[in-house]
Amino acid sequence: MSSSSFSRLRASLSDHPGGVGSGTHICGVVVGCQCSAVAPSSALQLHAPDPTQADRDAPSTGSGLIRKKGPNRAWSSGFVAAATALSLATLSACGAGDGADASGQDGPVTITFWGWAKGTKEVVDAFNADQSDVRVKFQEIPSGNAGGYAKISNAVKAGNAPDLYNVEYPQLPDFVSRGAVQDISKYVSADVRSKYLPQAMRLTSLGGATWALPQDVAPQAFYYRKDIFKKAGITSPPKTWDEFRADAEKVKKADPKARIATFFPDDPNTFEAMAWQAGAQWFKTEGETWKVGFQDKATRQAAGYWQKMVDDDLIHVMPSFSQQWTASLQKGETAGYLGASWGAGVLDGTLPDQGGKWAAAPIPTTGGTAASGMLGGTTFAVSKDSEKAEAAVKFAEWATTTEAGIKARIASGTSSAYPAAPELVPVAQRAFKSALFGEQDVYGLYKDATGTIKPDWSWGPVMGTTNNSLKDSFAKAGSGGDDIMAAVREAEAATKKELGNRGIKVTD
Amino acid sequence: MVAPAPQGVTSPAARPARPRRARRPQWAWRPRRARPGAPALLLLPFFVLFTVCTLIPIGNAVYLSLYREERSGLGFGGVERVFAGLGNYASALEDSAFRDGFLNLALYCLLYIPLMTGFSLLLALLLDSALARAKRFFQLALFLPHAVPGIIAALIWMYLYTPGVSPVIGALDAAGLQADVLGAPVPAVVNIALWEWTGYNLIIFFAALQAIPREVLEASVVDGAGPLRTALSIKVPLIRPSLAMVGLFTVIGSLQLFTEPMILHGAAPGVVTTWTPNMYAYTAAFERNDYGLAAAASVLLALAAAALSFLVTRFSGGRSTEAKGTEA
Repeated sequence: MSSSSFSRLRASLSDHPGGVGSGTHICGVVVGCQCSAVAPSSALQLHAPDPTQADRDAPSTGSGLIRKKGPNRAWSSGFVAAATALSLATLSACGAGDGADASGQDGPVTITFWGWAKGTKEVVDAFNADQSDVRVKFQEIPSGNAGGYAKISNAVKAGNAPDLYNVEYPQLPDFVSRGAVQDISKYVSADVRSKYLPQAMRLTSLGGATWALPQDVAPQAFYYRKDIFKKAGITSPPKTWDEFRADAEKVKKADPKARIATFFPDDPNTFEAMAWQAGAQWFKTEGETWKVGFQDKATRQAAGYWQKMVDDDLIHVMPSFSQQWTASLQKGETAGYLGASWGAGVLDGTLPDQGGKWAAAPIPTTGGTAASGMLGGTTFAVSKDSEKAEAAVKFAEWATTTEAGIKARIASGTSSAYPAAPELVPVAQRAFKSALFGEQDVYGLYKDATGTIKPDWSWGPVMGTTNNSLKDSFAKAGSGGDDIMAAVREAEAATKKELGNRGIKVTD
Repeated sequence: MVAPAPQGVTSPAARPARPRRARRPQWAWRPRRARPGAPALLLLPFFVLFTVCTLIPIGNAVYLSLYREERSGLGFGGVERVFAGLGNYASALEDSAFRDGFLNLALYCLLYIPLMTGFSLLLALLLDSALARAKRFFQLALFLPHAVPGIIAALIWMYLYTPGVSPVIGALDAAGLQADVLGAPVPAVVNIALWEWTGYNLIIFFAALQAIPREVLEASVVDGAGPLRTALSIKVPLIRPSLAMVGLFTVIGSLQLFTEPMILHGAAPGVVTTWTPNMYAYTAAFERNDYGLAAAASVLLALAAAALSFLVTRFSGGRSTEAKGTEA
């Protein structure tokens, strides 16, 4: 889940992982798509009619064409020529990708950048207007899990990756581990390093090197509909998970169709944030070995809690940012959202007619003492083969540590990202305006929550596999087949196996 | 498919077309032989594109499938390519998710192929019958869904399947019927495929039916066959090659099932990321970043497709020659 998975809300054609481009890459290996395989041969069948057909069903223009040698020849060779020209044009168009204009020595250095976080275009425009040494060419791509990561991986594999791209914290170690990211330690001075929140810097420094610059920190938050809560007789937002459950019962009682929030079976990050908040540590390192264990007490507790919420039908089970979820929010059948700092911007963009009805609250905890995990959060990473790393880092630094950079993003009116540079929080705070939350100081709330982020969590180097496994088994948990803890166990096994496959040392 | 075979000519009306069709290419070939450069030149673009777009990718996939990437230590020190032999194939076959994909595919085929072929054939026979009115209109109307790109069709159906959004589910809900379409992915996907492909295959069948020599049909009428008997005993056996062809393409097409379930995955987590073998390969490559495994899975799928097409061709080819004998 991204700090901006909202682009999935607008799941357009190209947005989707099933989009034509990415799909055919694999299909190409196989005999040929159904459509392309069928079309030519059936055309043959259709255009070679028996002469007898003529007297049965009049239009026999096809056979006329085939019989006459002259025109047919001319037609077919013309066709072949045209087809060849077309295909060659397509091929050469594929060949010439980005990175062609590398050698602009005198003028500004042009770097290419792929991202999807809200407000990014505004940041790029502001940067390009602000200075003339580096020009950033920005391309918006689908959010990571909605196909963005696939696109980046593909481009890295093909050798035409952009110089700079967005990666979220959970995926960063995976990207580093497969050599898609460049070590940028030498471009990041100690001075710059000290501008970021230490927890964020820790998540971008792996194996003693710096691999990315953090854009935002994503402490958890609970967003809820004030009016629905009031109608259900809830006077203040829940502080503990027990209160949350009691409130969930009240919401359901007041309106049998309404639920307090949603369990996202397709989004392991939300569950991971819950485990993180409860104090779990799935990945630890000991020297050169990974210590992997998903089944600690904190995780078991979180799994048990959410399983019971699902079993007792106290929470919706819907895919995250799906049409179903959006519709349910719009109809007031979902009264809350367990998200993170960036969630306010998402809700604001999704629910234009619910102005003033929402409020943000700290995420409930088990014991009542404030604690938070982190749900998403984006970084800037330089791709392995980029020769313009220095320029790329310059832009990333500007976007994340300058007042102008933060202001451009938040003032776009679409983002509620919490800056990873604590000094700039007041800038974001002033720039953020939301119809949904009225006068509430959500940044003040994020600030407090950021202070309570548990510091020991690390992401593993094969999160692609881990999350994929969780996602597929959560689907079964939602439909009552398996339970959440079984999904966690399965994911742990899959993760260890994958680490072994990759030759990475792992213990329990 | 069966062109040069017909020696035991019996049905005079059915025959004349076939030998002529077989002979025509030979006759057309001769003058070209005088200039051997021309065919080569004309064939060149095909072979160039075939090599670039098919042979090289297949070769590359096979190559990729024999390697895996290794790291050391914590995994942040760089990647090394290691020859894995058939290791990737073994891991794909060992993975129950990959096997489940084939199972889903089998269920899908069992449901989809008979339904689709049945519907298309039925509609084609109805259109071909003497009673049909407004043939052109129905031909076009039935074909229209196929003109909608698969990905758009899938998005539309996803909308229609999603509770809370779909007017259909809403109406059923209001009538007191709880329809959990997304909870049953196989029928949901079959329905989309039916909608997309019935009209298309109908046109193939209809064209084949139109090509049946009129004399044969007249003879059957003279012999006293009613419309139903004519359809079942004359028309269907005579368009068997078309049935075989549709069967072959449908089987291959089904094995590559990807777009529809991939789109549905966004709304129905029950359509897991490895729901079909093609999705398994996609997920392996782009979510798990294991290109070797993805390539191995693709090659296995291609082999399965090749084996299955061979069987279908063999099976249906045999059937149609036999049929010719019994027709006599």
